[in-house]
Amino acid sequence: MTTTPTHEAPVAPAQTESGTPLGRRVIDAALRVLKTAGLPVLIALVVGAIVLLVTGNDPVDVYGRLVEEAFGTPSRINATLAATTPILFTGIAAAFAYRAGVFTVGVEGSFVLGGLVAAVIGSGMADMPPVLSVLLPLLGGTVAGGLVALVPAVLRAFWRVDEVVTTLMFNFIVAGLAGWAVQSFFLAKGQANSSTEYVAENAELPALAPPGQTSVGLVIALVLLVAYALWMRYSTLGFEFRAVGSAPRFSVAQGLRVRTVLLTALIGAGLIGGVGGSAHTLGLVHRYSEGFSADFGFTGIAIALLARFNPIGILVGAILFGALNAAGATVQLFIDLPVQIIDVLQGTVMIFAVAVFAFPRLRRLRAARVERKRS
Amino acid sequence: MIDLLLASAITLSVPLVLAALGGAIHRRAGIVNIGLEAHMILGALMGAVFSGLTGNWAVGALAGLVAGGISGLLMNVIITRLKGNEIIVGLGYNIVMFGVIGYVLRATLGVSGTLQVPGLERMPKLVIPGVADVPILGALISGKDPLFWLCIVLIPVLAWMLRSTRWGVRLRATGASESASASLGLRTLAIRDGAGIVAGALAALGGVALSLGTVGLFNENMTAGRGYVALAAFYFGRSKPLPTALACVLFGFFDALQIRLQTTGGFNADIISTLPYIAVVVVLALTGIRQHYRGARTLS
Repeated sequence: MTTTPTHEAPVAPAQTESGTPLGRRVIDAALRVLKTAGLPVLIALVVGAIVLLVTGNDPVDVYGRLVEEAFGTPSRINATLAATTPILFTGIAAAFAYRAGVFTVGVEGSFVLGGLVAAVIGSGMADMPPVLSVLLPLLGGTVAGGLVALVPAVLRAFWRVDEVVTTLMFNFIVAGLAGWAVQSFFLAKGQANSSTEYVAENAELPALAPPGQTSVGLVIALVLLVAYALWMRYSTLGFEFRAVGSAPRFSVAQGLRVRTVLLTALIGAGLIGGVGGSAHTLGLVHRYSEGFSADFGFTGIAIALLARFNPIGILVGAILFGALNAAGATVQLFIDLPVQIIDVLQGTVMIFAVAVFAFPRLRRLRAARVERKRS
Repeated sequence: MIDLLLASAITLSVPLVLAALGGAIHRRAGIVNIGLEAHMILGALMGAVFSGLTGNWAVGALAGLVAGGISGLLMNVIITRLKGNEIIVGLGYNIVMFGVIGYVLRATLGVSGTLQVPGLERMPKLVIPGVADVPILGALISGKDPLFWLCIVLIPVLAWMLRSTRWGVRLRATGASESASASLGLRTLAIRDGAGIVAGALAALGGVALSLGTVGLFNENMTAGRGYVALAAFYFGRSKPLPTALACVLFGFFDALQIRLQTTGGFNADIISTLPYIAVVVVLALTGIRQHYRGARTLS
């Protein structure tokens, strides 16, 4: 198993365009995202349309309503941005690790434990001074998220133990531990379902536009996104990330700090996932309960792959999936449409985000043409 | 007490063993199947629906098998022919399958979650006269459904097929080194697709064991992560049929123990549910560390 790499994060070739102006770069990035993300999204829409048609719904009508419910009014846009926030965090986390060629699936676990720890600390913050009452739970959740990634990171960096399976397993371990911890220690009194107490009011992240649910968490996520972009572009370790990600053996030969890169990539993704979970607790749900994460960690993977780790692409992808989530929740109130159709769309995008659409015959033809040009 | 515990441990193991054997075959061909959960839930649904339509459990099981095979092929084709990453495709496939099933249940059948199928025939429990009254042995092998006996037959047959048949050797060669096998003229993608069909079909039978074997209805949460426990099992058993099956029995035993302890109080179900996954991390860590030092020695 170790001799044949069965998984390889698709890594975009390093861009060397630091001379071009920012505006041009943004347009280029957007076009690239459109190219890689367009086809998966299109396929997802077709698959969704088939499911809708089979069950007697008009796909055009349903899709129209989804768009309307996602972006129709300012309050709906607010809801979309609220749904964008958690998956923007997990998208950045996944992209961060994949850039180094490390294929973690464990962001989900970091998100969950980060959220739980932030909820527990946050519920005891009633008498704390204002800024500290938010920072402490945020910090606690972040550390917890990093801890989830620690064991897989050490195993991967020192003994090359496959990180995909260990991080996947840690998701389930964390889910079990979180369920046990809530049941045994942090259960809110008088609650039928298993959830913690609400966090103290002064531990909540304030809303950006008060009746709406979008909180300061979105600002934190955007700051992280910019930091991710700058770090990858300008820091030494960021350069080594890209090098190790695109040519691991070459990087070893060149004496790059491969072990440091691997540890930073895995633990860093865990830390970012932890911030995301904390922000989700403090900014939106205000407590931890069962089903805290609606597969946000996995949606983040899809976003990172769709965007090919490009920061602007991550933002666009997160808004796209956020729109689906926000619209799906309300559309079922107006027309009798089960919300599961959103899962079908999201899952299909995820599957085809990693599929390569180069049909063998076409590829051969193209190769032959190149060959002819050379000779 | 111990008899009841063993009997329910075996019953709980059957779906796991079927799914894990499928996953093990697929893994030997070089693909880690994360979509076992999806194939299982599809099998459970098809088994329940077709058993209800015909009033015959065997038709239900067959329908589950066929649907699982198709489902396995569909997922595998995206991995082999479209070069999709196996982990992402598997995770996405699970999400899509649960989405489609949940959607169809609600949109066309108007039920949420649980589907009671009228006229559904459950699998018979084969009581072996004579053996049934022997203390421990009776609990182990009497009163089990046909899929239990299928497992008993499958374990040695699959082990033999992997070791000694042309199919098995080619499959293992493809898993060991795809490029070397391809250079020998093996159709590696087709071999992997075949393994994918087997994985899907067996996992779906595991689902049938859930819906027709124990409860006699369909619930969209009835797999409850068993696909991932099966994944843990074939990692634990290093993708060999007998060790994989034994790992499943171990996890089935934990599960049965947990159910019993829950009623008497004491242990927490959530903690026990993490044991299979912790076991996999430990096994991976130990083998990885050992391989690392062995590799280091041969190099120096």
